[in-house]
Amino acid sequence: MVRYILRRLGQSALTVFLTVSAVFVLIRLAPGDPAASFAGPMATTEDLARVREQFGLDQPLPTQYLVFVRDMLTGNLGTSYSFQAPAFDVVIARLPYTTTLATSAILVTAFAAIPLGVWMARRADTRREAGVNVAGIAAQSMPEFWSGVMLLTVFAVLFPVLPASGFATWSGIVLPTITVALLQVALISRLVRREMGANLAAPYLVAARSRGVSERALTWRYAIPNSAIPVLTALGTRFAAMLNGVVVVEVVFAWPGVGSLVVRALETRDYPLIQATVLVTAGLAVLVQLLIDLAYPLLDPRVRIGKAVRR
Amino acid sequence: MTGATRPAANQPAAHTPGGRAARPSRVTAADLARSGAVRRGRAAAAKLWAGAVCTLLVVVPVALARVLPIPGPDEQHLDARRLPPLVDGHLFGTDQLGRDLLARVLNGGQVSLTIGLLAVVVSGIIGILAGAAAGYFGGWVDSVLSRLLEAQMSLPLLMMLLLVVALFGPSVPVITFVIAIAQWPEIARLTRSLVIVEREKPYVDAARVLGLGRVSVLVRHVLPNIVQRATLVVLLLLAQAVLLESALSYLGAGPERPFATWGRIISDGQDYVTTSWWLVTLPGLFIVLLVVGVNLIGDGLRDRSRRPKTPRTEAAA
Repeated sequence: MVRYILRRLGQSALTVFLTVSAVFVLIRLAPGDPAASFAGPMATTEDLARVREQFGLDQPLPTQYLVFVRDMLTGNLGTSYSFQAPAFDVVIARLPYTTTLATSAILVTAFAAIPLGVWMARRADTRREAGVNVAGIAAQSMPEFWSGVMLLTVFAVLFPVLPASGFATWSGIVLPTITVALLQVALISRLVRREMGANLAAPYLVAARSRGVSERALTWRYAIPNSAIPVLTALGTRFAAMLNGVVVVEVVFAWPGVGSLVVRALETRDYPLIQATVLVTAGLAVLVQLLIDLAYPLLDPRVRIGKAVRR
Repeated sequence: MTGATRPAANQPAAHTPGGRAARPSRVTAADLARSGAVRRGRAAAAKLWAGAVCTLLVVVPVALARVLPIPGPDEQHLDARRLPPLVDGHLFGTDQLGRDLLARVLNGGQVSLTIGLLAVVVSGIIGILAGAAAGYFGGWVDSVLSRLLEAQMSLPLLMMLLLVVALFGPSVPVITFVIAIAQWPEIARLTRSLVIVEREKPYVDAARVLGLGRVSVLVRHVLPNIVQRATLVVLLLLAQAVLLESALSYLGAGPERPFATWGRIISDGQDYVTTSWWLVTLPGLFIVLLVVGVNLIGDGLRDRSRRPKTPRTEAAA
């Protein structure tokens, strides 16, 4: 168990390290000069040279990389060009906004999608279920930026009941959460329906029904627990993905999370900030993934840690 | 992914399938018409039709954008700014620079659809080849591919895509490549699992015994048997490719030449959403119509292909 966790942690660290290295090389291969965007349009050649020297951009690429790795191992991710502050701190300061939004969105998703999917599975092939099914297809076909702007228009402009953006009051989180959850509910409820449908048709369930187990118990004590693993896996994976910044929704609602920070860092070619964001978010994502894998045996005693995990 | 190959959730089968009318039976035609299987079949057909109609409603005008009698997408008329729909022959109205919104949406749609189709073709080819190789050869090929897939799944995807586009410029080839890279894991995983099932079948051994090499068995015998099921997923990915392209373009990482695409048109219109609702609403509805159409077709095809599976495997056994 401990060995398994240690090995997984090592693998995760390697993944994150390779990712950050790839990003390091990628941003330096690309055309464009961060010194120019930092120094501004009025900068002279001397200004540019000074800025390059200050940030170590005049060194050859391998040297830059070695310096970067050395600094990273000592916990120094460089100074953000545009914020003039340690890049790591800038990212960490934005993280709570993203985790808040991701948590509320995943909670809404879970509490809406699971009952909906169970209902759909039990009413399979009825007219009402077909209607909900088509509504789900529509919901998962809407671009998030569009549904976000539409919700904004209706609930913040036409009927100003909710704030359009911001995070000063609790109500500011309502519209972004709904926007994210709309898509996720559509996706997850279909998964729940499929898993439940398979379990409701399984021989063990027919056997239980023939022994006289009530329909309610069949659903709650037989089918739902057996459908739980794939559904919870999906919820966990979505949550991990959201921690990487709900980029589009954050931009629509001017939500100051990691996602909107990334967009800004890319626009200004803020190398240290890009690297720090990738490091933090990729690290967080692999960590959440590890926690999900560790949670399997708690949900399903048939799964043993360290052996192949059903996906 | 295992869900796709699992038999459909059958109602308790109370009747034998039709076609044996000669045998006396208490199952009437009305019972059959009410049965779950028939209902599912009808629902699948309805989905296919509705999906085809939605898709064509978007694709045909987009394909004919150059031929239709509409103004050019970049013609500015500053005296006709932000006209509401249906005024002065502007079916979708005009935008903040007096450009015809319908013309912008249709011409942008050509770029979006081209990117979507190309990206899906590229990711389909990469995904099917890589997945088939991993599933068939196993061993180190499989472990390399699986690690690669895991690594990509754990990465902040949209962030990486934005990064690549921001760095290499929002040209059509770059965006196509980026979307293809985002999508190939899904196809590779599916193909891999299909091939793993397929390679254990007797005809593979037969072909080997006849002296075919491993590669030709894979290409000539195994791949043709799975390619249909794999392409079904490719169709669903087309919808996602269009959505992804529009998201990139909304975030300012979309192609600007030759024409601004849908996401960009919507983000341009967002500043005027309080006064000119059509600038955001109509292009968005256009995207939704297309994506709903493609998703319905994919769903309908999947429902339909799932049904005859049971009898066919029985006949093969």
